[in-house]
Amino acid sequence: MAAIATAINVLGVLFLSHAAYEHSLLTSASTSLPPTHSLLPASLDPKITLPLDITLETLFSVLLLCAGMVLSSADLKPIQWRVWAGTLEASQEAREVKEVGVGGGNPYQALEERAGFWDVRGVGKATRGWMDGGGDKKGKGRA
Amino acid sequence: MIDERELVKHPIVQDSVQHNARTVSNIRALTASLFGVAAGTLGLESFPGFIFYFLGTAVVSLLIFTLKADSKPEAYFYHPVGDLWAGDMFGGLMSFVLTWTLLYGLCKA
Repeated sequence: MAAIATAINVLGVLFLSHAAYEHSLLTSASTSLPPTHSLLPASLDPKITLPLDITLETLFSVLLLCAGMVLSSADLKPIQWRVWAGTLEASQEAREVKEVGVGGGNPYQALEERAGFWDVRGVGKATRGWMDGGGDKKGKGRA
Repeated sequence: MIDERELVKHPIVQDSVQHNARTVSNIRALTASLFGVAAGTLGLESFPGFIFYFLGTAVVSLLIFTLKADSKPEAYFYHPVGDLWAGDMFGGLMSFVLTWTLLYGLCKA
């Protein structure tokens, strides 16, 4: 992508400089008075008829250069938080470390699991109730 | 505020917003000088020249929309209409006029 963009840029610069060069040679090449355009008012009259190939070459080179500049610029970053967090979780560093406790995996694991707010006594009570028989282990404990 | 509640539900990464604004502003500044070179080479004067600049800025917005934003502007810009399409038209006007007068003088005189 970078190579294509650079090639487009170079081509565009070449064509543009060629067009400007041809234009600068115009006044030395022709000395006749150009006809005035009847559709335009006098203030907007361009006063010189530009050959078609210079006009086309300029416009084409400008289009090429615009495309090349846009292509070679930096990529846009997504602004939604969940997309950014998703790329963070899927990043190379996060995927390499396998054990959760060592600090790898989801970098926001500590915030999402909140070990400090875990209801230890409630879960212990529910487990004992289940072990003694009856009820399910997932009974709601009291804080 | 409806806007703040939307931000709480779907938060925005401020760093990305700034990066995108910087990138688009960079593109607009560079292409503005480029359009000046083209307008000077074409020998445009007064109104046709400025119309050429605004047309060119619209073309550049379309190029950014298709090539960089993958036709999904709301994923990259918080206010797509304000930032991508109608954004910062008069910032590059000075660069445009500068290169326009330079090339006009070079080619015509």
